[in-house]
Amino acid sequence: MKQLKLAYTTLLAKHGMGAALFVAISVSLWVVLFITLPQLSMLDYSFRFNLPADQLGTDADHYTLDQYRSFFFNNDGSVNTLDIMILVRTLIAALIVTVIDVLICYPIAYILAHGAKGVAARLMVIGLIIPYWINEILRAFAFRVLFGSTGVVNTWGMQMGLWDAPVDFIRADVALYCGLAYAYILLMVFPMYNAIEALDHTQVEAARDMGAPLWRVHWRVVLPMAKPGIVSGATMVFMLTAGALAAPQILGGPSSLWFTQLIYQWFNESSNWPRGSAYAVVLLVTCITFVLLMMRVFKVSVGEIGK
Amino acid sequence: MNRHTLFGGAYALAFFSFLFGPLVIMATTAFNSSRFPRVAPWECFTTGWFGELFGNARLMEGLMNSVIIGVGVVALAVPIGLAGALALSELPPKLRSMLYTVLILPILIPGVVLGISTIVLWGQITRGTGAGFLYNGYFLTIVGQITFVSAYAMLVFIARLQRFDATQTEAALDLGATPGQAFRKILLPFMAPAIGSAAFITLLASFENYNTTVFTVLSESTFTTALASKVRHGTDPSLSALAVIIITLTLVGALTNEAYQRRKEAESGGRASRSPLYANPVTRALTHPGIVFAILVTVIGGITYAGSQYDSSVCEAAVLQEKLDRQEELRAEQRARIEAQEAEQGVTVPKPDSAFGGAFGGVGTPAAPAAPKPESPSAFGGAFGGITAPEVDE
Amino acid sequence: MPDQTPDRIPDRSVLLDHVSIRFGNFTAVDNANLKINSGEFFSFLGPSGCGKTTMLRCISGFSEPTEGKVLIGGKDMAGVGPNKRPTALIFQHLALFPLMSVAENIAFPLEVRGVSKKARRKKADELLDMIALPGIGDKKVSELSGGQKQRVAIARALAVEPDILLLDEPLSALDLKLRQHMRTELRAIQKQVGVTFIYITHDQGEALTMSDRVAVMSRGVIEQVGEPDHIYNRPRSAFVASFVGENNALQGVIKGQSGDLAALETPMGTYEARVGGGRKYKAGDEALLFVRPEQLIPGATENAFHATLTRQEFEGATNHVFAKAGDTELRISMVNAGLAGSLPGQGESLSLGFQPMNGTILPVGHMASDS
Ligand SMILES: Nc1ncnc2c1ncn2[C@@H]1O[C@H](COP(=O)(O)OP(=O)(O)OP(=O)(O)O)[C@@H](O)[C@H]1O
Ligand SMILES: [Mg+2]
Repeated sequence: MKQLKLAYTTLLAKHGMGAALFVAISVSLWVVLFITLPQLSMLDYSFRFNLPADQLGTDADHYTLDQYRSFFFNNDGSVNTLDIMILVRTLIAALIVTVIDVLICYPIAYILAHGAKGVAARLMVIGLIIPYWINEILRAFAFRVLFGSTGVVNTWGMQMGLWDAPVDFIRADVALYCGLAYAYILLMVFPMYNAIEALDHTQVEAARDMGAPLWRVHWRVVLPMAKPGIVSGATMVFMLTAGALAAPQILGGPSSLWFTQLIYQWFNESSNWPRGSAYAVVLLVTCITFVLLMMRVFKVSVGEIGK
Repeated sequence: MNRHTLFGGAYALAFFSFLFGPLVIMATTAFNSSRFPRVAPWECFTTGWFGELFGNARLMEGLMNSVIIGVGVVALAVPIGLAGALALSELPPKLRSMLYTVLILPILIPGVVLGISTIVLWGQITRGTGAGFLYNGYFLTIVGQITFVSAYAMLVFIARLQRFDATQTEAALDLGATPGQAFRKILLPFMAPAIGSAAFITLLASFENYNTTVFTVLSESTFTTALASKVRHGTDPSLSALAVIIITLTLVGALTNEAYQRRKEAESGGRASRSPLYANPVTRALTHPGIVFAILVTVIGGITYAGSQYDSSVCEAAVLQEKLDRQEELRAEQRARIEAQEAEQGVTVPKPDSAFGGAFGGVGTPAAPAAPKPESPSAFGGAFGGITAPEVDE
Repeated sequence: MPDQTPDRIPDRSVLLDHVSIRFGNFTAVDNANLKINSGEFFSFLGPSGCGKTTMLRCISGFSEPTEGKVLIGGKDMAGVGPNKRPTALIFQHLALFPLMSVAENIAFPLEVRGVSKKARRKKADELLDMIALPGIGDKKVSELSGGQKQRVAIARALAVEPDILLLDEPLSALDLKLRQHMRTELRAIQKQVGVTFIYITHDQGEALTMSDRVAVMSRGVIEQVGEPDHIYNRPRSAFVASFVGENNALQGVIKGQSGDLAALETPMGTYEARVGGGRKYKAGDEALLFVRPEQLIPGATENAFHATLTRQEFEGATNHVFAKAGDTELRISMVNAGLAGSLPGQGESLSLGFQPMNGTILPVGHMASDS
């Protein structure tokens, strides 16, 4: 608190009353009204019954663990494997997508930082950014066009005789994984690029001079440097993939539901907000725990993210 | 070393094919008259899907809503992001990293969670205060989006602030400016370019957002949610036409920006006079960003006009006739088999629209995993995709 | 230097009254106590990190002293912000505003005081004439050369019509030739406007050539204040003797003192020299003897070292000759006598004497090379 006050007085002395008030009010609003209160209120909601409006505030309106119980157990007391499996599958799928992104983005980040020069480098940066100006929904749609039963992949595959009946890539979740991996490439490349770029290229050359094979140079010299970028990118990709809704809705096979879709159903189809809130809390807590765990494993701090 | 360069080049090529391939293919389907977006079989070249796109009332209404919401979000998120960046620059290290974590969190929190928590909170506030007017799709969407969009703006401002030389402010104070004057005349002008890019990024983010908006927008719809419900209902190439438009706008923007950046760089680096491109008055004029923009707009305008005059009805009628003939043929042969199959699978009934746009119409619910999806026609559906399962949009 | 300013001119003096500035436990300025006179060109000279900038920021109002007072024109400046003090600061890296034109930069102080646009432009043009850069008002700052930026920064500071102009190593970014040229220029401008200049530098050449008086600082402490020739010829501490100019230092024990002169016994012999700072020594006190390279006269036998010549460095007008006397390497400067002259050869033995008045005996203390 004292430090906050000190920061405020520094602002006041440096930028004047108007600016200091503007900063103080805006940041407080943001932190309290936009970030903290909604989460608290969702948390509060998740501990309540789904009551009709006229019963709110009556005796029936008290705290309960019902909503969470129903995530873990069915009505008959057996474990709710359906929903739990959906959560687990979402996390595993998000992890797979993250790993795919790390693998395909690392070489590009390296080429961008230390291989490409001048016009080529510029074109590559523009080329990386342009697809992200195109609506997320349309990007997912593109993959549906690509992988549909009369899509280009099936047509070519059959023409080349690789398979002879259209493969249902959507049901097999291939389209979904591709679409998700595609969707967050940019978020993976740039943090990686920033980290790798800081590496002095002569170090790579020195290591090569000493006769180290390329893979070893990367393992010992480039990767350690790229690590914070990789973790930062991976965190964002993981969180966004696990929280994705549009791509699973558009590209997901009918048999594999994403956990966010479950939440969506509770809210918009069953109109059970408390249940939906509880599921949202479960998603949030699991994701954050998972990410913090990963950060602990890789020894990186949250402050590195977004850099 | 050469082998590696070769490998690098090949990899980059493959990578960018992955990045652009789907977009190019999608864009191509916009010009195929087939009712289902596909490249092969190619039926007729048409520009009709563009007309269909603009005729879609729900999308156009969503577009209006998106503009209103986007303006609101930019107007609030940019100042909030700036305030966040300024606050971070004055805090002692420990507190700074704490606040940074809090402010960056909304980017990482699943958008679904943000959307839910926003409607839950404002629902409670509304019930508590009776201020029912707050509980509308526009307001809630703006509030919900600001939560994380401000963080994007903040990242832009932090990057810019890091390059600010604090002695500039001190110099202004020393020369007699009040702190407020120094802020307005020195720091804000320095931040101006960042304000521009932050506004652009926040607008784009607001426009694009689906996960949060789909909850907060309530019964309204934005461009993106309308688009999503259209895609989920089934697809037709008018979406590809939309992609063509967006890709074109993006390319025009990128090229103009590139011309601008190049020129600025050349001028500030003093290379302008040495580079032959800028020395020759003709090429110099041609590479002016304004001219580049004008040329692009003219060319695209021309193409659009030519396209709007193009009539593909004759070709389409021929293709339709051919299809009908063939369908008749097939029908005669395989009627029995089709019937058997339909009886076995259950009937493909499009779900009626609920208030939320028939959320799972396109995806199917887990309870009915075998429900056939409109966009994956049965084994022989390839040829009939467009006819046996017509995609109807309201 | 007598104060020549007539009475009606405002009092442009600065008084540092027992000023200390601390950051936590670290003392950046330790009990500075001195008066800078109205219209004076005053320099702070010291190695990097000795607290010069800290001192300047305290005078200009960016920080308050932890202890003591700063008085400008006889008025206590406690609680007066930098924008309210009659000072103008020229920053180490100038801090010109890159988004404004040259004229806008110079007129900025007038702009924030609400002067009309036309009057501002007129004043800016006047100042541009004064710094001999007429007609560049509409240029961008980035289009100026280093020396031009320098002068624009001065013009901008003068637009405030300050009583005190504070300059923080303003020439350090310039190349040697330009630096020498700007020294003359700065001095001329100062004479012309009559404003008190407080100049900070770690370059002794700059401090000695331009200033009326110099304060030598080390580790936050003001070691000595005086006119340039005093600083050079009459150092009062081992630090000043070793920091300003080249010096040979020898440690020894006092044998006796009579008046201004004392005898110091060193491993190489006993030498007579002037006592620095009018101090009194007892026989047996440890002390240091400083003799400047140009004061050592080859061939003189009185008060002399017996040394063997080891190496030479040729530097145009002077030759730097190094000779070993016992364990000590002595440095001797010799004027280049041209082709007619002759230099002693390597390995030659040599007697190097000095006038007692030209040697200085000072108490043992830290030297420039320690810090
Ligand atoms: N805000 C501060 N907090 C802590 N220590 C500081 C601060 N400002 C300066 N110092 C310390 O005070 C000492 C003096 O710094 P100052 O900037 O005055 O040096 P200087 O004499 O101007 O050096 P230079 O010639 O390199 O500019 C340094 O050791 C520096 O680390
Ligand atoms: Mg300094």
